[in-house]
Amino acid sequence: MPDMIALSHPASGHPQQRQFNPYSENGGTILAISGADFSVIAGDTRQSEGYSIQTRYAPKVFRLTDKAVLAVNGFAADGNMFVKQVRQRLEWYRHAHAKDMPLRAIARLIQTMLYARRFFPYYVYNILGGIEEDGSGAVYSFDPVGSYERESCRAAGAAQSLVQPFLDNQIYFKNQVPQPGHPHPKHLPLTTVIQLVIDSFTSATERHIEVGDGLEMFVVLAKGSPLYGLENIDGVQEMTATNDGERLFVVRRNLKRD
Amino acid sequence: MFLTRSEYDRGVNTFSPEGRLFQVEYAIEAIKLGSTTVGVRTDEGVVLGVEKRVQSPLIESSSIEKIMEIDNHLGCAMSGLTADARTMIDHARVTAQNHSFTYDEKIKVESVTQAVCDLALRFGESVHDEDAMMSRPFGVALLIAGIDELGPQLYHTDPSGTFVRYQAKAIGSGSEAAQAELQDKWHSKMTLKEAQTLTLRILKQVMEEKLDRHNVQLAQVTKEKGFEILDETSLKTIIDEM
Amino acid sequence: MATAAVYSSPGFDFSNEIRNNFLASKGIPLPKATSTGTTIVGCIFEDGIILGADTRATEGPIVADKNCEKIHYITESIRCCGAGTAADTEFVTNLISSNMEMHALTHNRKPRVVTAMTMLKQYLFRYQGHVGAALVLGGVDATGPNLFTIAPHGSTDKLPYVTMGSGSLAAMAVFESGWRKGMSREEALTLVKSAISAGIFNDLGSGSNVDACIITANNTEMLRNVEMPNERVQKERTYVFPKGTTAWKKEEVRKLVVQEEVRLVGEAMDTD
Repeated sequence: MPDMIALSHPASGHPQQRQFNPYSENGGTILAISGADFSVIAGDTRQSEGYSIQTRYAPKVFRLTDKAVLAVNGFAADGNMFVKQVRQRLEWYRHAHAKDMPLRAIARLIQTMLYARRFFPYYVYNILGGIEEDGSGAVYSFDPVGSYERESCRAAGAAQSLVQPFLDNQIYFKNQVPQPGHPHPKHLPLTTVIQLVIDSFTSATERHIEVGDGLEMFVVLAKGSPLYGLENIDGVQEMTATNDGERLFVVRRNLKRD
Repeated sequence: MFLTRSEYDRGVNTFSPEGRLFQVEYAIEAIKLGSTTVGVRTDEGVVLGVEKRVQSPLIESSSIEKIMEIDNHLGCAMSGLTADARTMIDHARVTAQNHSFTYDEKIKVESVTQAVCDLALRFGESVHDEDAMMSRPFGVALLIAGIDELGPQLYHTDPSGTFVRYQAKAIGSGSEAAQAELQDKWHSKMTLKEAQTLTLRILKQVMEEKLDRHNVQLAQVTKEKGFEILDETSLKTIIDEM
Repeated sequence: MATAAVYSSPGFDFSNEIRNNFLASKGIPLPKATSTGTTIVGCIFEDGIILGADTRATEGPIVADKNCEKIHYITESIRCCGAGTAADTEFVTNLISSNMEMHALTHNRKPRVVTAMTMLKQYLFRYQGHVGAALVLGGVDATGPNLFTIAPHGSTDKLPYVTMGSGSLAAMAVFESGWRKGMSREEALTLVKSAISAGIFNDLGSGSNVDACIITANNTEMLRNVEMPNERVQKERTYVFPKGTTAWKKEEVRKLVVQEEVRLVGEAMDTD
């Protein structure tokens, strides 16, 4: 919980200073990878403070629309409030413009919302994943004050420093010389991406104390995309709400609880 | 109408017992005194045309501005008290910029029209502690033309804050004859070129002066080039081919 | 014996103290020590003592060792669980183990647990908490079963059931609700295992496996990894890199087999 810190001595006559720290850090890790016609957005479900687990199930990944999923990591209270406000803005937009907000518009909206709090920021790292208007899979990553970029993969949070190098190696093929006649693929298939996401989280759970308990992984498929065997994956559940063509799935897995 | 004048036509926010707001109705009347303005929508784009009343040979006709850009994909032609349109177009421009700043996309034609119409009804007596409102309704009607993901569109707005989408619309003093002609000549397969000619032909019919490149203005919104006011050279070419 | 070229006083070397303080003041922090943000426990039962520990070692939020040993040897019938700075717990228990052996040799009898406890607390007190070891010391000697905790500043407690480390509250909650006087060996072991498990699952500083050590009057049984509730699941993919994956800038092949000719000089040695 955010706490009051009393500085200097309470002795009478002397000036006193009190400071309120409104922020705390609640651990966990999020990650998103985009493919040619899909996007995977995942996060663990542990919420902790210091050495204590506050809850083993606190979602960090949220469905915004059938084609946009937002993952938030950092200070949980700020994250939850931020998602709530983004959703409110999406609904206002729907009423004003009679359509769902496109992914790149959500990305820009998040920038303006974050930058509006430039001098009292939301203590949150955001990763937005989904399908663009042209049908391509996309990932946008943000810093807490709104700097953003479209990428094809990004990890954030407690185990970012463990997971991102792994992703750089396996997604971007960094430090891997291709075999002669076998260039590195530009996009990976969905099944491979899901495996990489699961391995990222089981491995981060092994070596980072704040990662664990549960894995929640959203998969967004573009309009007209095949299922790529997604239906055979253990613990998959469809979350599609509209008939626009994009399909949304969630895969839940257990992670180690120690 | 003027014969039925009563006490109820003074207050801008007072309904008559028949349920009418006279000031708004009078404002709509003001448009009928304005110069004729025509808008035609085709699948290739939207054409806007206005008559410029050059009342004196000393007037620099190029300084009469009745078609204005709102954004790269949005244009607007006016009729009535054109000074009032400045406020509305300013608002439309801010709304369009705000939208692209916040959402990194072009605002829809309907949305910008809605925003302008929201402004149209903010007249009346201002309440204490509130920003001063406008004292009277706008005396101008707009034809808002634009292209968005739904294709080329043409909207008409009037001082009551009502907006309606049209395939082709005429406003101003010659609007009745012009609208009748539009109804007769407009068809869905019309090309942009045909729309330009139709617009000019109609203006020519309703104008008192002889139409030339100085007393009309033509603008268009196309997917390729967005909003553009045609310069006198290209205007002359179209007039000559008419 | 040759004289040492440089005189080195026994004990800690403080020669870098001034330099390190200077660096710290310039914003260069001291290297972080591995801390065992641990759950360690001990409890008395009818025949002796059971000590328990988890096996996670951490460096900040990173797991440094998934299966380390936190129950240290002092003597055959005295063991000590360590929490705190890993190096300190290892060094201090090792040192006291040596001194206990010396003590046993000098006095020609089995040393007592209080002896170890006194040596540890005096040592820790001397360093005013800078030696960051929090210990659970247990064993059986001539006086019977003995169980102590020793805090980093040197204070000690003598109790029938004790816990230490970041998971101490989780473990103590289990002891407070489940410990009874005169428990059997099985009952006590079950209680110790669930106390450690409480730490493993509820304290982020503790994790992996349960180690236990049962000390009775004539036997000490080290139960390494007596429970392993956190085994890693099979990975989804195998990460094998084909030959030639690593880029190289130049190639140089050296001959490692050196040719040499051996010539016999003088008479052969008499090997009869």
